[in-house]
Amino acid sequence: MPTSFSRSIRLAVPALLAVAMVVTPQGCTDLAESPFSVITPDNFYRNDDEVRAGLAAVYSQLNTASTGNLRYLNQIPADDEVIPVRGQDWFDNGAHLEAQRHTWQAGSPLALGTINSAWTQNFTGVARANVLLNAIQDLPLANKPRTLAEARLLRAYFYYNLMDLFGGVPIVTDVEVAARARETRAATYAFIEKELTEARNDLPVTWPAADYGRATKGWVDAMLASLYVNAEVFTGTVTASGLQKGPPQWQKAIDAADRVLSNTSYRLTADQAANFRADNNTSPEIVMVSARRPEAGLSLNFISNSLHYNQFSPSPNNGWSVEPPTYRKFDPEDKRRAAILEGPQFNIVTAAPVNDRAGVRLNFTIDIPDITQATEGNGTRMYKWPFDPARTGTNHGNDYAIYRLAEIYLIKAEALNELGRTAEAIALVNLVRARAFSPPKPLATSLTQAQARVAIFDERQFELIDEGKRRTDQIRQGTWLAASWNKSADVPFSVLMPIPQSQVDANPLLEQNPGY
Amino acid sequence: MRCPRLLLGALAHALFSAAAAHAQTPTGSITGRVVDSTSQQPIGNVNVVIDGTGRGAVTRSDGGFLLRAIPAGSYRVRAARIGFVAQTHEVTVAAGAVATVQFGLVTAATTLTELVVTGYGTQRREAITGSVSTVSADEANVGQVTAPTQMLQGRVAGVSITQNNGGPGAGVQVRIRGGTSISASNEPLYVIDGVPINNTAVEPTSLGQNNSLPRNPLTLINPTDIEAITVLKDASATAIYGSRGANGVVQITTRRGREGRPELTYDTYTGWSSPSRRLDVLDGDEYRAFVQGEVAAGRLAQTRLAALGSDNTDWEQALLRTAGTQSHNVAFAGGAANTQYRGSLSMFDQHGIVLSSGLQRLSGRINASQRAMDNRLRLGFNLNTSQVKNDYVVSENTGGFTGTVFTNMLIMNPTQPVRVTDAVTGVERFYEIGTGAVPVRNPVAIAEQVNDDGISRRTLGNATVDFDILSNLTAQINAATDRSNGVRSAYYPKISPLGASTNGDALIGELSNTTNTLQTYLTFHGSLAAHSVEVLGGYEFNQYSTVSSNLEAQSFITDAFSYNNVGAGAVLQSGFVGSGRSDSRLVSFFGRANYGFKDRYFLTAAVRRDGSSRFGSGNKWAVFPALSASWLLSGENFMRGGPFSELRIKGGYGLNGSQEISPYSSLITLGTGPRASFGETGVVGVSPNRNPNPDLKWEQTAQWNVGVDYGLGGGRYTGSLEYYVKNTNDLLLTVNVPQPAVVADRLENIGSVRNAGLEYLFDARLLSRADLDLSLGLLGSVERNSVVSLGKTAFITSGGVSGQGQTGQMSQRIMPGYALGTFYGPEYVGVDAQGRQLFAKYDVQKDATGATTGRTRNGETLTPTANDYGVIGNANPNFSLGGRGQLRAGRFDASFLVRGVFGQDVLNNTALVYSTKGNALQDKNFLKSALTDPIGITQPAIFSSRWIEDGSFVRLQNVTVGYTFTLPVAWQRGHTTRVYVSGDNLLMKTSYTGYDPEAFTSSGLASRGIDYLNYPNPRTVLLGAHLEF
Repeated sequence: MPTSFSRSIRLAVPALLAVAMVVTPQGCTDLAESPFSVITPDNFYRNDDEVRAGLAAVYSQLNTASTGNLRYLNQIPADDEVIPVRGQDWFDNGAHLEAQRHTWQAGSPLALGTINSAWTQNFTGVARANVLLNAIQDLPLANKPRTLAEARLLRAYFYYNLMDLFGGVPIVTDVEVAARARETRAATYAFIEKELTEARNDLPVTWPAADYGRATKGWVDAMLASLYVNAEVFTGTVTASGLQKGPPQWQKAIDAADRVLSNTSYRLTADQAANFRADNNTSPEIVMVSARRPEAGLSLNFISNSLHYNQFSPSPNNGWSVEPPTYRKFDPEDKRRAAILEGPQFNIVTAAPVNDRAGVRLNFTIDIPDITQATEGNGTRMYKWPFDPARTGTNHGNDYAIYRLAEIYLIKAEALNELGRTAEAIALVNLVRARAFSPPKPLATSLTQAQARVAIFDERQFELIDEGKRRTDQIRQGTWLAASWNKSADVPFSVLMPIPQSQVDANPLLEQNPGY
Repeated sequence: MRCPRLLLGALAHALFSAAAAHAQTPTGSITGRVVDSTSQQPIGNVNVVIDGTGRGAVTRSDGGFLLRAIPAGSYRVRAARIGFVAQTHEVTVAAGAVATVQFGLVTAATTLTELVVTGYGTQRREAITGSVSTVSADEANVGQVTAPTQMLQGRVAGVSITQNNGGPGAGVQVRIRGGTSISASNEPLYVIDGVPINNTAVEPTSLGQNNSLPRNPLTLINPTDIEAITVLKDASATAIYGSRGANGVVQITTRRGREGRPELTYDTYTGWSSPSRRLDVLDGDEYRAFVQGEVAAGRLAQTRLAALGSDNTDWEQALLRTAGTQSHNVAFAGGAANTQYRGSLSMFDQHGIVLSSGLQRLSGRINASQRAMDNRLRLGFNLNTSQVKNDYVVSENTGGFTGTVFTNMLIMNPTQPVRVTDAVTGVERFYEIGTGAVPVRNPVAIAEQVNDDGISRRTLGNATVDFDILSNLTAQINAATDRSNGVRSAYYPKISPLGASTNGDALIGELSNTTNTLQTYLTFHGSLAAHSVEVLGGYEFNQYSTVSSNLEAQSFITDAFSYNNVGAGAVLQSGFVGSGRSDSRLVSFFGRANYGFKDRYFLTAAVRRDGSSRFGSGNKWAVFPALSASWLLSGENFMRGGPFSELRIKGGYGLNGSQEISPYSSLITLGTGPRASFGETGVVGVSPNRNPNPDLKWEQTAQWNVGVDYGLGGGRYTGSLEYYVKNTNDLLLTVNVPQPAVVADRLENIGSVRNAGLEYLFDARLLSRADLDLSLGLLGSVERNSVVSLGKTAFITSGGVSGQGQTGQMSQRIMPGYALGTFYGPEYVGVDAQGRQLFAKYDVQKDATGATTGRTRNGETLTPTANDYGVIGNANPNFSLGGRGQLRAGRFDASFLVRGVFGQDVLNNTALVYSTKGNALQDKNFLKSALTDPIGITQPAIFSSRWIEDGSFVRLQNVTVGYTFTLPVAWQRGHTTRVYVSGDNLLMKTSYTGYDPEAFTSSGLASRGIDYLNYPNPRTVLLGAHLEF
């Protein structure tokens, strides 16, 4: 006895059911992805602002690569600095001891950590440049040649670092992720030289103030001068028994240096320290720069590495110290030694005396009796980049000079000396030394070529200590393999770093460096 | 792929014609009553089913049932309920008449339900050919259950549940037959009332300085609403869930209303939790004595004495507390013949044993069902909504470098007080060792001063329509939506050392997840002579969407705003401010056929075709098939009269997948992030943040399962034994890519992992009398996991060690031939005369290709290098056991649950870092065990085999004693009240020296067995009552 209610249900429900089943969600089998908060290269790089943002990402990698692991590898394994184990601090898997003693292997903590990061940081820069270069190749853009030149120069910089650390590497200009074999070191050198030379044509001499920090012709010339002065090493071959030097390029180094030196907008500052302060963006001495801001992700923070916990707030980590023989090598009258903190210590902001964590007046000693169990105060400390008054937390806005005019003078001096023009070389060195001593203490003009060579390398250390140059310098000078403070005589193949095992695993076509 | 509209259109059409045809069929009804054969008491909630039709009813509390609109004919009617042996009676239905059938059930030892939820339907237990376990909430919801996952602990063989830590609502690692994936998720699929749940975090996890793991998203489900949990373990059972079934499926069925008198119940308990173990650090007197001794011996500077105060503070005791919990739950249920309903409301308030931590849940649930058209149409509706407030501590899951509560609890100088009175103002304040961002902070102050709160709201609703197109063909629709919104807010006040350097730091993170699901499917039942068949086919669509946003500001004028007025902060932290959205879809077609012959031979075949938007363009679709069979030997004539009341062998094979990767993983995408300074301005860069992988496809797990189910002694003893092998191939693995690449790695399908295991289950009903019942259960499992291949990668390092001086130190290696969770490091051999740690030194032999061919021991070394590293432990247990018992004697009842896990290694990262006397050089406290340790005061903490401890344990998980009676009041006539006392984690036997060997610290890919400063596990005692009205 169906009621009218159940009759109407009998009709309505199947009808509703039918509607519900037929109206399936739109695109019921459409599985194309729709990204929202991320975008794809197809819908980007369409105008100047977007290209500028793409370039900014490549420049940001210049910041990462220049002061990251590359700088560590140029200073800790070299005779600039040491990171001793201090109580519970800084053992870190033994990696710092490995760096000091040159005991790294392809699969050791240093290789899987710092060396691997140096590899990926520079190659990430290459890949970012490649994405931009490939995306804008066929687009009609204003300033396209200049944009292409900037990206190519930055890519060449990353390749320069890779070649310096590892020798020949895969040269890639497309965006495909694929295993590729290594080029020879000479071929990598030639690629960098060509890229820099071609990029130079489309780069400006200077930028308006609103674009300070972008690449100029000066960047190219400084990099070329450095490339040529290292040519014997960079174009040589490394076997398990060591480095076979390639032909020198002294005259090319002089020519490239001269192009920088003839640019009147660059000049040495009266006070060397002006190149490191937070306002160093106004320094006329800086040729190639990694520009920084006192903001997270854009800043410089060397204070955390070296200063004692109680010298600054937020608390630094009390790590990196100057190797005692290096500190002692400085002339006590050399003003540049003032950037190394020694003796009783103060808070660097308030200048109030500080104690160590044991409550004793903090005193940085020159000597470090045992690098496996150092005290809080053992070792003198680099404090070349002073704190930024406008800092936020640990973020300081001091710019980092990749090349300064002083180094260009020293490159030219080195090349001149190698060509037998020792007197001219000493004159240039004395130009750089002049501001470091009052009264002046110039090098004697009577030095032999060999004496001058030693003096120039020493001068480079006095002038450029802590600036990420020393490993390359020691290899070029031939002091890299010798026994030195807390380091035994080295295996000859250590002039190249091992390719980290993780990278060999990822790319089976990568041949390991000889000896490793 | 064509849309299934045509299929559905045809379905709708069939439905119309069937509706029209229906009126002619002559029908009758079946009615009857189910009682306990011994006591003759009525049994409610019994499933009464007509064999081969899927038609059925559930008995009321008076044991009665009614089945209407049954086409005239002869039937076999089965009555089955948990704890009873099923019974079948023949019945003949005549048109327009009512047939009566009575059941008298006998209690059985088995705890398995008779009708088992198997995904898109139910199946009789005898007909199940795969590996399926069921847990009844009546038995498992004892003690303090915050989330339903706890109910599985120790009750299902092959399921391991590790709560991340002892914090309220802590996340869990649920592993069904072991974790098989390295980069993708190993968590099972959760299905609530037929709706697959997106079990991702509902609240932003780590925020600011609090690097906590997500809390358990299932805390949003009130355990009292749960009827049963069914775990599908093997691939033949989970294949119907295809791409989401590789890690097993946990199906939660909620309680519903029944025909009969309305029921009103009230459940409540009050609990007290206290720390179950302590980490022994020096007390004030011991610390003073140590420092004075070291100063006298010249190993510590004289000035060290100045840091000594005159107090004797136990920081662990100051920070931990006895914490209360209360739970209230009201439920009403009832219904008439065609309408049933149930509603519940609950409040749960749990305080953590660490100051200022806790969880508070309010939840409401309502469900209703309606039958119409002579029971041919069945409508169902479920709605669950809940709100969970989480109060977090900094940091409850990992230690962090400095600053967190647990770090400072261990290192804070015990000779100093918790609070001091300011000499100038006379106001009481927390003691700190100095002003501003000091390196060691008062942990009580951190807990009290830092606010870190989360509030999540989740609504889960679904509506179902079942329609019998023909008497043996049913169409079903299930439409569901699951929406959650979680807001996490934190404020680090300037008064705290944690907020001093930023002048106050406020952070807010918001996360919203939406999942919409539509399932439509047809089920056909048929039987002919001794053959019975059930065929199922359908379509499912899931759409997932996640939206998030973040806000942070620093430099506040006052702490008074807390996180409630971010605009009061002078400096907006643009690095943290942001928002994001991601979507993905899963589209599926599935089918299953069950075939039974003579109720002895069963065959199940299932296939699912899944399409996921998350994979590469050519690999979005995959097919997951499965086949399984069982043979009821005890039904054969040759077995009659033997010892076995039941004996069944079964076997199956199936393929599952995993799609648990983030959306867009196959695409090259650009993101904002790295900036550059142009002209002293930060220019936001846009760059690729993912390497494309157009070949990205499903991770596939193939699983074999064989097993035996047996019953002895007329069903008094039952048990099962199962063996499985799981091979996971095309592992979704994050691997380094050849450089140059925009980022160092990408997700690829590389390598394989193998899991094999044995599961054993035994239940005994030792006594079964009218007033006395005693049953015991035992389960055990053995699981072996091994990485078979990682493609061209030799090994992956994982398990990062936490703590000072441990940067870059890894404790585990994933490598072929070894289990996931293999510890890798130097072997500790002792201490030299100078108090320096010595490690075994090895020479390594290599062949011409540079591959290692052997290691030989060669003396000792102070600084172990790569050659000295080797395998030093395995975080996986050799085996695990669970035992439980239940006793009912008259009005009393009692139960216990014991769990044991044996042979697993645990890295005691806490001891590694805090067993260092050298802490005293910095006025920091340390673990008492270091006092007798020969290691010198100047020595760093070095990871080695010394810190790998045996993590075997036996834990008395729960003991409950209850008493049931009827209150002498009018309203309780015919109903009962039960009061009980229950204790959780009462005893633990272990040689492990940390808080708890069952801890989880997230520290890298597939890492396990690492314990670092985890929130301690409480011991809980509670008093509860269950009242019926």
